[in-house]
Amino acid sequence: MFTRKRLIAYVALLLAFSLFAWWAWSNLSSAFVDLTERQARSTTAAIVSNAPADPQEMAAWPKHHSDGDTQIALYDDFPGYGDAPLHAGTDALASYLNDPANKGTVDQGVESAMYEEVFQVPGRVTLDGRAHMVFFHPVFDEETREVRGVGVAAADFSRGAEYLHLMGLVFIAAVVVFAFVAGVLKFVRDAITGFAVVGMFVIVGVFVAYPLFEAARLTFMYNGEFSLDTWRGVLASKQYMAALKRSLYLGVLTASISTVIGYLFAFALSRTNVPWKRFFAAMATLPVISPPFTLTLSIILLFGRNGLVSKQLLGLDFDVYGLTGLVLAQVIGMFPIAFMTLSGVLAAIDSTMEEAALNLSASRFTTFTTITLPLSLPGILSAWLLVFVNSLADFANPLILGGNYYVLSVEAYNEAMGMNRMDWGAALSFLLLMPTITAFFIQRYWISRRSFVTVTGKPSGRLIELVGRGGKAGLVSVMAAISIFIVLLYATVVAGCFVRNWGIDYSFSTENIVEAVQRGWDSITATVTLAAAATPVAGLLAMIAALLLARKRFPLKRLLEILIMTPFALPGTLLGIAFVMAFNKPPLLLVGTGLIIVINFVVREFPVGMEGGIASLKQIDPSIEEAAMNLGADTSVVFKDMVLPLIRPAFISALSYTFVRSMTAVSAVIFLISARWQLLTMQIYNFSENTRFGLASVLSTILIIIVFFVFWLMRRLLRSSEHLDKTITSN
Amino acid sequence: MALSKSVLLQDVRKTFREPKGGADVHAVDGVSFEIAPGELVTLLGPSGCGKTTVLRMVAGFEIPSAGHIAIGGTDVTALPPNKRDTAMVFQSYGLFPHMNVGDNIAYGLKLRGVPPGERAKKADEFLALVGLEGKGDRSPSQLSGGQQQRVALARALIVGPSVLLLDEPLSNLDALLREQMRVEIRRIQKTLNITAIYVTHDRTEAMSLSDRIIVMRSGKIAQIGPPPEIYANPASVFVAGFIGKAAFFQATVTEIDETCRVEVNGHRLAIPRWSPELRPGDRAKVMCRPESLTFLPAGQGVLDGRVTTNIYLGNTLESYIATEIGEILVQVDNPAGKTIPAEGEGGEHRHPPGAVQGARRRRGRSVTGGSEAGNRLVFFSKPRYSGDTVTRRGTPLCH
Repeated sequence: MFTRKRLIAYVALLLAFSLFAWWAWSNLSSAFVDLTERQARSTTAAIVSNAPADPQEMAAWPKHHSDGDTQIALYDDFPGYGDAPLHAGTDALASYLNDPANKGTVDQGVESAMYEEVFQVPGRVTLDGRAHMVFFHPVFDEETREVRGVGVAAADFSRGAEYLHLMGLVFIAAVVVFAFVAGVLKFVRDAITGFAVVGMFVIVGVFVAYPLFEAARLTFMYNGEFSLDTWRGVLASKQYMAALKRSLYLGVLTASISTVIGYLFAFALSRTNVPWKRFFAAMATLPVISPPFTLTLSIILLFGRNGLVSKQLLGLDFDVYGLTGLVLAQVIGMFPIAFMTLSGVLAAIDSTMEEAALNLSASRFTTFTTITLPLSLPGILSAWLLVFVNSLADFANPLILGGNYYVLSVEAYNEAMGMNRMDWGAALSFLLLMPTITAFFIQRYWISRRSFVTVTGKPSGRLIELVGRGGKAGLVSVMAAISIFIVLLYATVVAGCFVRNWGIDYSFSTENIVEAVQRGWDSITATVTLAAAATPVAGLLAMIAALLLARKRFPLKRLLEILIMTPFALPGTLLGIAFVMAFNKPPLLLVGTGLIIVINFVVREFPVGMEGGIASLKQIDPSIEEAAMNLGADTSVVFKDMVLPLIRPAFISALSYTFVRSMTAVSAVIFLISARWQLLTMQIYNFSENTRFGLASVLSTILIIIVFFVFWLMRRLLRSSEHLDKTITSN
Repeated sequence: MALSKSVLLQDVRKTFREPKGGADVHAVDGVSFEIAPGELVTLLGPSGCGKTTVLRMVAGFEIPSAGHIAIGGTDVTALPPNKRDTAMVFQSYGLFPHMNVGDNIAYGLKLRGVPPGERAKKADEFLALVGLEGKGDRSPSQLSGGQQQRVALARALIVGPSVLLLDEPLSNLDALLREQMRVEIRRIQKTLNITAIYVTHDRTEAMSLSDRIIVMRSGKIAQIGPPPEIYANPASVFVAGFIGKAAFFQATVTEIDETCRVEVNGHRLAIPRWSPELRPGDRAKVMCRPESLTFLPAGQGVLDGRVTTNIYLGNTLESYIATEIGEILVQVDNPAGKTIPAEGEGGEHRHPPGAVQGARRRRGRSVTGGSEAGNRLVFFSKPRYSGDTVTRRGTPLCH
């Protein structure tokens, strides 16, 4: 509601507040300056009063008493009235006093001193590039009490100047905040929404845009100047180009195999009536929620240098570290992503079309190749890209299982943490971002246009058999083999807890459990604390953001959405490095605190919860919220009374998702941990690095238990709100 | 109950911008009207005419691009919905699915800080008002559509609003229930003497409920008036066609004295009501309501025709007749026992009686002719309604 009257009132209010702030600031700062000058005056007077009378001592004395804070010089007698040699403690002060340009000031000071008065040079004098207060003190003869010379003292004012600067910033900030608040209250009809939008922008601005900008900026800086050295170095480096190629190669392999397996599962579950569907579906989603390192760990336990299968059973001298192990670990960990994407796609293809083909006497195989497969092709491409991007961004698996196969994310970590070259690490992470962005645009502008799938919202419940008896048996056996392998991997980790020393001594023991809990207890409590702190914040933020983006109109909405989604799409290594680069210096010195880890959890995980919230809100009739508003509820009451209860399932999902992902985070937080805040995943990593696989197994198992417990809890809570879903859709 | 208040709209406009740099869409284009306290006014019009947008602007869900809205003499244009003293009944009801019926109804009171005991008492009272005694513990999804509708009404009324807003409240109900609820809403509105704005695209609903009807088209008001006036003296072909069935013919005025004589496709007809601006030689449009026509033995009427279709509706029968001047609809009340030509039968003469009127526009203003219960055809001048699609010159507009 923008009217001239309101604008005038606003400007007047703002002016009044600014005047008041300026008045307060000038009072405070002049009081501070007075105090500082008075203190400096008396301190320097005390120093100068001790000046020796002996000419020989006098020469060395000022140098002796000059330090970083105070610089002293002495005139023996008065310049201009006789022979008055200058004994300056520092070169800077000497050159100031001897500078002909300052003659007037110096003469004035000397004259004041002659009349037994202290003289202060007005304003600040710059010595050694810092602001100083300069005083001329009379030096008295101890016996005669007469002035025998002049002592010049320059006291450092740079700290005071910094303080004044800071105080000025505080007042400017106060004016800015006031302008914001008053502006929202004055011009925005729905002030609460206005504040929420501004708050959201501040959060993503400070914790998403700023770190990324800072990281990008620093890759173009060298010794404080603009330079392309970092990028030139990175792009010219054979080592890093090879790492990029390795990353891409690994991504292509993982994505291709995962997509095939994912399609197999999705097809079998949605287009045939194979047995044990629930079991297969569970196996094809389980690895997604499994903590990092778990599958890697069991692969090492089974196929590693001392692996149960490779060494003990087959007696091979087989090394799983490297490409083979990585592909295996990533495929098992990521084919569920392809499975879930493709399940959605296949479910959205109306089977009436397949029925029509069969009805027109196409064979089942022809129906599959001419109808089902072409219709799901865009979905297959999306799934492939999704896995590809995930594989590129993967950090946990290559870290442990990479061996000599260095991929880009690990190189970025080594560069940033090992070599302590943050800018190089950032540049490498940005390099990692390029394929991700390309994949995103392919997905968005090419695949989405080619998608034939029309979501009717009514997937037909009928199941048509597209596979014969033999094909079905083949499908089942492949799925069973993969599922059993997954079960085996989990069982191995659990078994690893109870074995004395895996690979050497397989006797039963609980020593590892005791030791792991003892050594890992701090990290367990720290991880749970941090994750628990991040969870409610991320959950609420996600729901508020969902309400804003799904229901409200405001300027720059698109930008806000992009900024919110960015951390979710970025490789974790990049976000981690960006956080370190942005928050290891004032004004936001956060590196080393638990807070920065919590913030990282929040900004990384809440976009997913928000997406869920938006999806639920789109299912809910907006007139429910309008009715509440119409009856007198403002936006905050609508949020509390309507939105939150109605999208409770999305809220609970967001909470549990954040908690689990925070518990199992690796790639970004590895840059942010400190001695005080050791995380469980890091502890598992450390144990594996030191080949203490038993201890790593115990911690992994604990992590799995926590994760599964949270998911079980979530399902329980969701079941109790099932009646809600029904009502919402029935309306 | 709060005192019912007047509602005033002054040149209210709402412009939406089409997404992706499209043109501006004038959803509401300069609407002004005033509603007296206690009056029920219907906004009637086809979908997309801006009637719901007007209602939502009164409620505060949309902000007018220009113009002012006042409720009870206070300008509320800048007020958010929760600060306005209006209560709305939504087309989809918008019942709170996570609360039971009683809590739904009492929600507005809860927001106003009414203590729980009093709240429950009042909720029961309003449940009784809408005929849902004892259903307070049910969940909204357990109620039928009509019952949900009543809950929505009670929820809106309980806060004692000064204006009640109803957005196509009956469109989700089946025909029989709709008629029942129509009566109910009117009864409650009269009992509480509450100012109400009712949005609908159903002309029977509008006719049966309203003190006055505002017919809207393309974001503009086409006509305001009490139902009989709008039916009898429509201001334009559009209003005439929208408010009731009618046949239209293109005609030329030949003579005007006690009646207006016109020529339609070579046939000379006498028209009892016409626009005073009509002059001999003008081209005009003739309207003919089906109930104003009766069948007569061949040769006794003014027009001959052939029955193409007979539609039997119980209390009436609608007969479509092809004549030389175009297709005409004849409505026969109490068809039982009457001799009605069968389909395909022709050569009948029909004598058009009925109310006749003309609306004509010359140099920018529409004029409605006087009404007279004569036994003639209805006349319209050639409409050239400003900025309206009705203006298409010379094209017969049949609805």
